[in-house]
Amino acid sequence: MGGQEKNAGTVPVNQEPEFSSVSLLEKVRKQGKVWEDLAQKYGVDNPDPPWKINLDSTCEALSAEQCALPVLERRNEEDVLSESLYQDVPYPERQLLALTHSMIERGLIDEDELALRMKFVSKRLNST
Amino acid sequence: MAEKHKPAPMVDEVSDFEVLEVAVRELAIEKGLFSAEDHRRFAEFAHSIGPLPAARLVAKSWLDPEFKKLALEDGFTASKEVGIDWLNPTGFGTPSDYCDLRVLENTPSVHHVVVCTLCSCYPRPILGHSPEWYRTPNYRRRLVRWPRQVLSEFGLQIPADVEVRVEDSNQKCRFMVMPMRPEGTEDWSEDQLAEIVTRDCMLGVALPHPERKADDKRPVHKAANPVHGH
Repeated sequence: MGGQEKNAGTVPVNQEPEFSSVSLLEKVRKQGKVWEDLAQKYGVDNPDPPWKINLDSTCEALSAEQCALPVLERRNEEDVLSESLYQDVPYPERQLLALTHSMIERGLIDEDELALRMKFVSKRLNST
Repeated sequence: MAEKHKPAPMVDEVSDFEVLEVAVRELAIEKGLFSAEDHRRFAEFAHSIGPLPAARLVAKSWLDPEFKKLALEDGFTASKEVGIDWLNPTGFGTPSDYCDLRVLENTPSVHHVVVCTLCSCYPRPILGHSPEWYRTPNYRRRLVRWPRQVLSEFGLQIPADVEVRVEDSNQKCRFMVMPMRPEGTEDWSEDQLAEIVTRDCMLGVALPHPERKADDKRPVHKAANPVHGH
């Protein structure tokens, strides 16, 4: 397991990655409602959205045992994406978009299957 | 007459970001990138951590010179006395936290402040989750170059005759600051003292004060000239 280890990874950490936009994530970036707006709208004072812990845990789990996404590569890419494609998105939504971007970039998940899964998840979470 | 029960406000809509988080997690589990059980354990750990054990360590040190000596010489053993075992913080192990905790003592002539220039290493088992500003390239790159300037942006002015030492976290070594006990707390109990030792005090960007019990929300700045990998 490798949570925050700094020696993992195959891409040199001093090499700045370049990214192009992912249409699905652009759609989420533009249309998604961020937590700070939702919290204000509903009058709740939690500083973080309830899904933040799950996001952090996904990051940890990806760096663990099988190390599908080494922590230092993820953090470097998050830094770059946070100051480019997702610079207008608040944290932790920005962290989520960056993680997903890194996973798509590596082929760990596919954009089309993610779009399809989002439809299913949305339907499930919004079912009455 | 029974009082009317007023439910706490809650967010009653599902955002695209929430949907995205669930979808990514489910796909990752289905593809075998990690197991649902691993994820659950990491989530349990994440739910359980916060800055209180570190605040307790500082408060005990202020009251007990022997414990303070232990904390400064062996942060690992001192952590156990506030309920944190660095070798087994989760009950299942997070190697990220298999490391050496160093407690940095502030004195009238030396002020410490903590950073991780490479990513965002943080003493999570004893201090909880890192704040957003700690993760930003702006803080990370500027603190090591202009520590007094950055600290002043936090509202902390360090006198010129006090040395400022910046400690850079690394793979095996994590740091927390033991601030000086403020005046006006002479008869306080450990519980009272622990209340004023906030997260920011233990990172070195704030000082404890008898009337300050919470950290301020900080603005986050973009790095003007980000330097990658440094």
